[in-house]
Amino acid sequence: MATESGLAASDPVRQTIDRRARIIRTFKDELVRRLNLPYTPEDLHEDVSLLGSGLGLDSLDALEIVLCVESCFQIKIPDQNIAVLRSINTVVDFVIQEQDRIGGRP
Amino acid sequence: MRTSLLRERLAAAGAQFRDRLGVEVVSHFSERRAEYAAVRDAVGLTDFSSVRSFRLPEDKGIDFLDGLLAGNVPKIRFGRVLHTLLADDDGWVIGDCYVANNDQEFLLLCESIVPDAELDAILEAAGGTEAGLEDLSPSHVLLSLDGFRSWEVAKHLFGADLLGLPYLSVENYSFEGKPVRLFRAGKTSEFGYLLLAPQAVAPTLFDALQAAVDQRGGRLCGVDVHDDLRLEGRFFNVHAEGRRVRDPLVLGLQWMIDFDKGPFRGSEAIQRRRAGGLKQKIIGVATEPGTDALQSGTAILHEGRPVAEVVAAGFSGVLNHALGLAVFPVELAFSGLTFRLAAPDGPPVRSLSMPPIMPKSLTVKLDEM
Repeated sequence: MATESGLAASDPVRQTIDRRARIIRTFKDELVRRLNLPYTPEDLHEDVSLLGSGLGLDSLDALEIVLCVESCFQIKIPDQNIAVLRSINTVVDFVIQEQDRIGGRP
Repeated sequence: MRTSLLRERLAAAGAQFRDRLGVEVVSHFSERRAEYAAVRDAVGLTDFSSVRSFRLPEDKGIDFLDGLLAGNVPKIRFGRVLHTLLADDDGWVIGDCYVANNDQEFLLLCESIVPDAELDAILEAAGGTEAGLEDLSPSHVLLSLDGFRSWEVAKHLFGADLLGLPYLSVENYSFEGKPVRLFRAGKTSEFGYLLLAPQAVAPTLFDALQAAVDQRGGRLCGVDVHDDLRLEGRFFNVHAEGRRVRDPLVLGLQWMIDFDKGPFRGSEAIQRRRAGGLKQKIIGVATEPGTDALQSGTAILHEGRPVAEVVAAGFSGVLNHALGLAVFPVELAFSGLTFRLAAPDGPPVRSLSMPPIMPKSLTVKLDEM
């Protein structure tokens, strides 16, 4: 199994990764700070469950995550859309989807 | 081979048995998709007595468990359950554990990938006898109710007050005068209850549960369908990716570990690897509908080069396609990318965000019912 990506800067996969990595880094840093989590951002796997199992956050924490997304990305998560809060990755998917929609990108 | 105390009843109900590390488990009762649908749409009843269960007195058990497990046992509040892991001395995962702080006792449920005798030796070497460790596995059954309507069955048997139990909590109930410990837990992403019951009431409890499950359109389930259910819910499966990967950091199980507490079994090795930085990471992958199923051990390629390996594979009934987990180098461990499976011209395989489904149970608030 390879241990290095070996991707050129011009590789479209590299561009997709870079964009996603920037959003993840911003979101994780803010999540750890706002919720005072006992982990470093590097410790948080992007698929870890935010509510219930995994990080075990409660409804107040969920509100904090919604505010965190709004503050970091100027994107509002609708009140009833708890599906977005399943994991860090699902939050990031929502941010990318909304950025594309607002920015007019496909 | 260790067998369930309910073996006769399970066999009479059509159980197909198989061996798992010297323990007999029910692989399935009926077609896998029917068992899957029972959990997602109604309720499934599964015998998980293969999971080892232990009891310890609170005063002696707390230090023993905290020195053994990766999570912070003294921080478990009364009536709550900690989901954590057991590692070997080299910091590789060997058990997926629930620890419950239950009145004057601690309860440990350990789903392990080492044979019973090896786990016994580990517990003994850690001071189990001095800590008053009591193995409940030979005298108890562990039954799991999982599914969108599982709360109805639990309420039917034990009363409406259990609807107020939060996820990862424990409560004591009585069935025919015998104590039954109920864990509000589960790894399917639907509502889940684990019932630890003594041998004296195991058959009648099983019969009562089965009748209530049948009435609600549910069915008996084997352990195999739980591989798919855990994968869809992105719950750690020690018998799938856990057996192939072993490193809790690559597996993304940092949330099960308290890095700031004192030493625990394997902590030195885990801390050393953590300090060295993560090189690989496990992420979700999926193929297109209609393509071949994923298989553990299959390579994933990017531009003709192998870059990752499938370490768990199953089928998503909700998404209607193969679903799996693969270990990628961290540089490529991102969702939203397309690779090739097995060969440079193999079928496309996508990395995706987990969990990929929204379970029905997340749309219901039990404490408001």
